Amino acid sequence: MEAGRSPNIEILANARLMALEGEAGGFTARVHQEPRFIDEDKCTACGTCTMYCPRPVVDLYNERLDITRAPHIDYPQAIPAVYYIDAKACLRVNYESCNLCAQTCTAKAIDFSQKPREHVLDVGAVVLAPGFGKIDPAVLARFGYGKHPDVVTSLEFERLTCASGPTEGHIVRLSDHKTPKKIAFLQCIGSRDETCGNGYCSSVCCMYAVKEASVAKEHEPDLDISIFFMDVRTQGKGFDESRERAEKKYGIRVIRARVPRVEEIDGRLALTWTDEDGTSRSELFDMVVLSVGLDAPEDARQIADLCGVELNKYDFCLTSAGSPLSTTRPGVFVAGAFQGPKDVPESVTQASGVASLASEELASARGTRTVSVMYPEEDLEIAKGPPRIGVFVCHCGVNIAGVVDVKAVRDYAADLGDVVLYEDPMYSCSQDALKNIARKIKENRLNRVVIAACSPRTHEPLFQETLRSVGVNPALVEMANIRDQCSWVHAQEPAEATQKAMDLVRMAVAKARHLEPLSLQMVSVIPRAVVLGGGAAGMSAALAIADQGFDCILVEKEGELGGNLRMLKWTLDGQDASAILANLVTRVQGHPRIRVMTNAVLENVTGFVGNFVSTIRTGDSNEEVRHGVCVIATGGMQYVPTGDMYGESPKVLTQLELEGRLSKGKGGLRGVNSVVMIQCVGSRGDGMNHCSRVCCTQAVKNALKIKEMKPETAVYVLYRDIRTFGFHEDLYSEARRKGVVFLRYEPEDRPQVLKAGNGLKVRAFDRLLGEYIEIPAGLVVLSTGIAPGENEALSRVVKAPLTPEGFFLEAHAKLRPVEVSVDGFYLCGLAHGPKSLDESIAQAKAAAAKAAIPLAKGEVPVTPLVSRVDQEKCIGCGICESLCPFHAIRLVKVDKRRKAETVTASCKACGICAAHCPTLAISMGGFTDEAIMAQIHAFSERCAS
Amino acid sequence: MTEGHSNIVGFCCNYAGRVSEEVLREAGLMPDGVRIERLPCTGRLEVTTLLDALEAGADAVFVAGCEEGTCHNLSGSHRAHKKVGVAKGILAELDMDPGLVEMFFVPRAETGPLVSAAREMASRVAGGKKGQRSER
Repeated sequence: MEAGRSPNIEILANARLMALEGEAGGFTARVHQEPRFIDEDKCTACGTCTMYCPRPVVDLYNERLDITRAPHIDYPQAIPAVYYIDAKACLRVNYESCNLCAQTCTAKAIDFSQKPREHVLDVGAVVLAPGFGKIDPAVLARFGYGKHPDVVTSLEFERLTCASGPTEGHIVRLSDHKTPKKIAFLQCIGSRDETCGNGYCSSVCCMYAVKEASVAKEHEPDLDISIFFMDVRTQGKGFDESRERAEKKYGIRVIRARVPRVEEIDGRLALTWTDEDGTSRSELFDMVVLSVGLDAPEDARQIADLCGVELNKYDFCLTSAGSPLSTTRPGVFVAGAFQGPKDVPESVTQASGVASLASEELASARGTRTVSVMYPEEDLEIAKGPPRIGVFVCHCGVNIAGVVDVKAVRDYAADLGDVVLYEDPMYSCSQDALKNIARKIKENRLNRVVIAACSPRTHEPLFQETLRSVGVNPALVEMANIRDQCSWVHAQEPAEATQKAMDLVRMAVAKARHLEPLSLQMVSVIPRAVVLGGGAAGMSAALAIADQGFDCILVEKEGELGGNLRMLKWTLDGQDASAILANLVTRVQGHPRIRVMTNAVLENVTGFVGNFVSTIRTGDSNEEVRHGVCVIATGGMQYVPTGDMYGESPKVLTQLELEGRLSKGKGGLRGVNSVVMIQCVGSRGDGMNHCSRVCCTQAVKNALKIKEMKPETAVYVLYRDIRTFGFHEDLYSEARRKGVVFLRYEPEDRPQVLKAGNGLKVRAFDRLLGEYIEIPAGLVVLSTGIAPGENEALSRVVKAPLTPEGFFLEAHAKLRPVEVSVDGFYLCGLAHGPKSLDESIAQAKAAAAKAAIPLAKGEVPVTPLVSRVDQEKCIGCGICESLCPFHAIRLVKVDKRRKAETVTASCKACGICAAHCPTLAISMGGFTDEAIMAQIHAFSERCAS
Repeated sequence: MTEGHSNIVGFCCNYAGRVSEEVLREAGLMPDGVRIERLPCTGRLEVTTLLDALEAGADAVFVAGCEEGTCHNLSGSHRAHKKVGVAKGILAELDMDPGLVEMFFVPRAETGPLVSAAREMASRVAGGKKGQRSER
C-alpha cells in the first residue's frame, strides 16, 4: 500500500527488462510492458468485470486450486489495486468477440485498444529482486505429486489454510473434499538434494512447515500431524520457541527421517522410512504435504545475461560475505531470495539495505527528480463557522447499490440537521468523482464532509487529500462504512441493510458536527546520526549514512574499532576476515563525515526523533551531542562456557580460540590426532534459550580447515541439528565427504568430557550402534553461542525494549525489522540477535537506509491524531506516563504542580492514556469524547423514535 | 489361525513394496491371514518350498517377483515363474486346484500391487471354500 501511494514510485506492472546499458550512475534500461487492457486511472476494483466474464481461467494465485475469470485481480490488496485481463484467455483479445466486460464496466475502464509499450528509463542504480522460482515438477513427481491428488505442495496447503483461499480455510483432501485426519509434511523437497542439482538448503521450509502445521491444528484440533525432518532448522530469531510450542501445545510429531517416496494404496498414502537406529517403519496418512524448497528464478540466466551479473553454481545471484547486496556489476544491487533462499524478515531487511546502497550511489542527485505534493494554503476561517455538512453516498458500482437503496439513503441524509449537500456518486473514489467532490466543497463552502462508502482503512487518505486540495483541513472528513460492514454482510436483507446504512450515515453526521481541524506539524531534524558500536555492523552503518551525505558519530566503548570481527579469522565462505576488517576501519577513519569516539559510552538521551541530545562519556569527561537519529549496533559477546572442563584443561577450546590456533598454521595442530566438537554449548536451552545461528557453519568451516591442514586428523562433530542453512549446506556436504563424523545427541543425554590419563575423551551415545562410545580427543572444541551484550543498561537509557533473551526487540519482525519501537532509533548486528557477518552487514545497510529517511527529508511529520492533555483537569497522577508504550507522555512541573504533557513527536495515537485518565483530562485528536458521545446518541435516535 | 480366516503365504522379493504388513492389516488394506515372507531374490525359491508351505497348512501360496527386465539378478523372477509353473502341474496331478499357487510380477518398491496380489489370492481361497461348502 505504501509503495502504491508514494508519488515517487512508479509501478510498471506486466513488464520485463529488455536491456540494461551504461554504468553505475547512468544506466539506460529498456522495459517492455504488456497491456493490461484496463485503464489504471479509471478502474475502481469493483469486480463487475470478473462477475460477467464468461471465460473461466485457472486461478494461479490460488495455486490452481480455484478458478477465476479472464479479467481479475490476484488478491484484494494487490498493488496496483487494479484488475487486469488475462490476454491468453480473453475472448475479445483472441477472437474479437464477447466484449461483455467493457459493456458492463460502469467506470468505463476497460480499454482493448491498449498496445504493448516500450519504456526507456534513465536510472542511476538498479535493484534486482525477482524472488525465487519453483522446484521442478519432475522432483515432485517422485513423491507422487500429480499422480495422487492428496499429495500437495506446501504452497497449495498454505492456500488451503488461508481464510480467503479457495476453501475459506477448511483443510480438505482434494480427492474427496473430506477433512483429513492424519497429515505428513515431508521436508527438503528439492532442497539438500544433489540428485536434482539443488545441494543447498532452502532455509525457510522447516519454519514454514511448523507454522502451517500449527495453523492447521488451530483450524482442526483433532488433526494428527507429523513432520519428517533431516535436521530441524529453525534458526531464526524466536523460531525455536515457536517450534517448541508447536511440539508441546499442538502435539506435532517430529520424525527425523527422509522419506524417499509416497505410495498410494486404496486412497491411503503410505510412507516408509528408516529410523535413526536403522529400523524400517511405515505408516499410512490421509494427506501428504511436500515442503518445497526455493529454487532460483526460472529466468535467472536471462536476468543475469541482460544485467551483466554473475550467478553462483545454483543460478542464484553471486555476492560475497563482505558486500552481500552487491552483484558483480557496479551499480546493480540484489535483494531477497534471488541472493539466496531467505525468509520475509531477511528479505525486507535486504530490501532496505539495497535502498541504502542505491542512495549512496545517487546521493549527489538527491531530490533532483523527486516530486512532492503541493497543497493550497489552508482556509482557517471555514472550519470556525457553523457546520455545513456535505454527504456523499457511494454506489460503488453494484457493491453497495445492489443491496442498499442508495437514493433513499441520500434523501434520508437530506433531512439530517446541518446537511447542505447530498449526492450519490457511482464511484466516489474515481478520479472524476473526486474532482466533483472537491468542486462541490468549494462551491458550497462545506466545512464537514461525510463519505458513506467503504473502509477508512483503505480510502480515508484519498478523501483527506481531496479536502486538502481545496484548502480544507483534512481532519474534517468522516467515513461511514456502508459496504464492508453493511451491503457485503447483509446481502440477503436489502431492506434492513438500507435501514442500517441510514443509521450509519446519521451517526457519521452527528460525529462530523464535532470534528475539529487538526494542525499538521512538522519538526525539523538535526542532520546528524549517532551510531553506537564500532564493530562490523556499526562501521557498515556509519559508512552507509556518511556515504549518503550525512554527518555521523561512531561511538565505540573499547579503545579500538572492530568488535567481534577482530576475533574472526575467516568468514563462513572462507574469505580472510581481517582484510574485510582492515578495509572497514580504513574507510571509517578516512571518511570526512565520520567522527570516531573510542572508549566512549552513551550515558543519557533526551528529546525525540529529529532532536536528540545525547551525553557521551569518554573517560572522565562528558560531551553533549545533538543528533536526529541513532543506530544501535552494540554487538554481542561470545558465551563463556561453564562446564565441559573449559578453563580446567588447556585442551578444551572455543571455536574462536581454535580459529586463532588454526590461523597460526599447521603448528597449531601439533600432536593432535583427533578433534571433538560439541555444538550448542550455551545455546538452545544450555544456559541460553536461543539458537546462535552461526555455530554449526562455523564448526563445519573449522572442521574442513583441519582436514585441509592435516587430513589424517579424526574430526567428530556432536550436534543436535546441523543448521548449515542456505549455501552453507555445501560446506556440510563437503565435510561429510572428507570424513568428518557427525553424531547427533539429545539435550537430555549431553556428551560428557572426561579425563583419560594425560588426555581427554568424550563419551557420547551413538544412535546407529545403540550404545555409548568413548572418543579420544586431542582437542575438545566447544561451539559456544552468541550471548547478548550489556544491553540492559542501554535499553534503560534509550527506553527500547529487549527480548526475553536480552537482545533488542525490533518494532515488527516482518514489516519493520531494523526499527525500534522508539521513533528515531534503528537496530542492526548482534545487538538484534545472533547472525553471520554478511547478515550483519546487510542489516547495517538497512538500518542506515531507514535512519537516513528523516535526515534526508529534513523534517518529520507529527501525526495530528495525538493525545492532548487538558492541564486544568489533570491531577498529575502519572497513570498515563506509566502506561504509555512509546514514552510519549511525561510529567512536568507547572506552577509547582505535576501535570502530564504529550510529546507530540513520539505519540502514536494509540489512545491508552485517554482511556485510563481518571479525570477525562486526555482526549485524542479526531476522536474526542464529545464526538464519540454524539455518534452514540445518534445511534439511539432510531431506537427512541 | 482363527476360523474363517484364510491362511496365505506370500513369498516376495526384498525389493517389492516395503510398507509393513501390520500397518496395512490394521488399516484393513491387507486381508487377514496373509503372511509375507521376504527373500533376497524370488529366484532362490524351490518347488518344494512352495509345496511345503501348502503341506504346513497354507490355503494358498503366491510369489511376488520383479517385473521383467527389472530383476536385480537379471532372471530371478523368471526362474520363480518357472518353479510356480511346475508346482501348479504337481497340484493338478494331485487333483488340487492349481490356482492355489500363483506368480505375480510386481513393480519394484511399490506396495499397492503386492496388496492386490494378496487380495486376489484371498478371494480365490474364499471362493474355493464357498465352492466346497456348496458341493456338500
